[in-house]
Amino acid sequence: MTDVHTDGNGVAGLLGEILAVEVTAMRRRCHSCGAENPLAAHRAYHGAGVVLRCPACTDVAMRIGVSDDGLVFEWRGTFTAQRLQ
Amino acid sequence: MARAAILGRLIPHRITWRVATVREVVAEGPRARTLVLDVPEWPGHRAGQHVDVRLTAEDGYQAQRSYSIASAPELDTLELTVELVDDGEVSPYFVQELRAGDQFEVRGPIGGHFSWAVSDGGPLVLVGGGSGLVPLMSMLRHRAARASDVAAHVLVSARSEEDALYRDELEGLEPRAGLSVAWTFTRTAPVGWSGYARRVDAAMLADVAPAPGDQPLIFVCGPTPFVEAVADLLVDGGYDPRAIHAERFGPTGG
Repeated sequence: MTDVHTDGNGVAGLLGEILAVEVTAMRRRCHSCGAENPLAAHRAYHGAGVVLRCPACTDVAMRIGVSDDGLVFEWRGTFTAQRLQ
Repeated sequence: MARAAILGRLIPHRITWRVATVREVVAEGPRARTLVLDVPEWPGHRAGQHVDVRLTAEDGYQAQRSYSIASAPELDTLELTVELVDDGEVSPYFVQELRAGDQFEVRGPIGGHFSWAVSDGGPLVLVGGGSGLVPLMSMLRHRAARASDVAAHVLVSARSEEDALYRDELEGLEPRAGLSVAWTFTRTAPVGWSGYARRVDAAMLADVAPAPGDQPLIFVCGPTPFVEAVADLLVDGGYDPRAIHAERFGPTGG
C-alpha cells in the first residue's frame, strides 16, 4: 500500500451522486480498533474507485466501486448520523 | 401535491451538475487565478465547502477536480481560486487559458465536516498551507461580512511571497477586532522579513493559537503531509482531536 492519500472530504461529491444525505460529517466507529472519527477524517486512497481507511488503524472503512451503471458500496463499522434540528 | 411538498422538505436535494459561466478572472500572483462565476440556481454554501468541477473536451473526454470555494456565502457570485499544478491536466487551463464568458460544469456545495459559520462560534484557529488557505479565506470573508467579533487566529504557510494568496486583503482585514494573521515563508522570505521563515512547528503554533483550555475550533487545510504534520503537532500540544477539522489535498493530477 502506497501512502499517497487524501481524506474523506474529497469523496463527498462522489457519494452525493447516490446518497441524498451529507455523509462526511457522519461519525464512524471502527469495527477493527474501536476509534471513532468523522468520515471526513478517514484516509482516502483513489484508484479505479476509492478506499476509505480508518485514520487510527488504517483498516478498510468503506470501498466505493465506480461503474457506468452507478456506485457499489461496502461499509464496515458503525456509522452515526446526527438528526438535523 | 401535498405529498410532493412534504417529500421535498424531508429529502435534501441530491447534488446536480450546473453550468457555471466565468464572469471575471482575477490574478492572484503569478501562479494562481480566482474565477468569479455565475451559477444559476446556486443553492448557497457554508464557508469551507468545496465544489466538484467537470470539464468536457470536444471529443467527450472528461476531467473532474475538486476546488474549495473562496468567496463568502453572502456574495451573489461563486469564486474559486485555482493554483497552477506543474504538469497538471486541468489547472493550466483554468490558470492560463480560461476567459470571461467561458463555461464549465460545477456541482455542490459539497462537504459538511470542513465548514464553519459565525453561529458556530470560536475562538477559531485557521492553519493553511499553500492553496489550503482558500477555504479558510471563505471563513474569514464570511466572518468579515457578518462583522463578527469571534476571535480568529490565522497561520499561513507559503513557499514565498509570490505564492502567498490574498496577502493584501488579509492585511486589510487584520486591524479588525479579534483577528490576527501570521505568515511563515518556507523557501524564500521577502527582503527585510522579520517574521517566521520555517515550517510550522510547535513553538509557532503556541505563539499563534490560544491555549487548549480556551477550546478553539481548529481548521487545517493543505497538502496531505502539511496537514498530517500540523494535526499531529496540535494533538501533541493538547488540543482536542475532535475540535481539529482537517482537509487534505493530494497529487490528483492538478
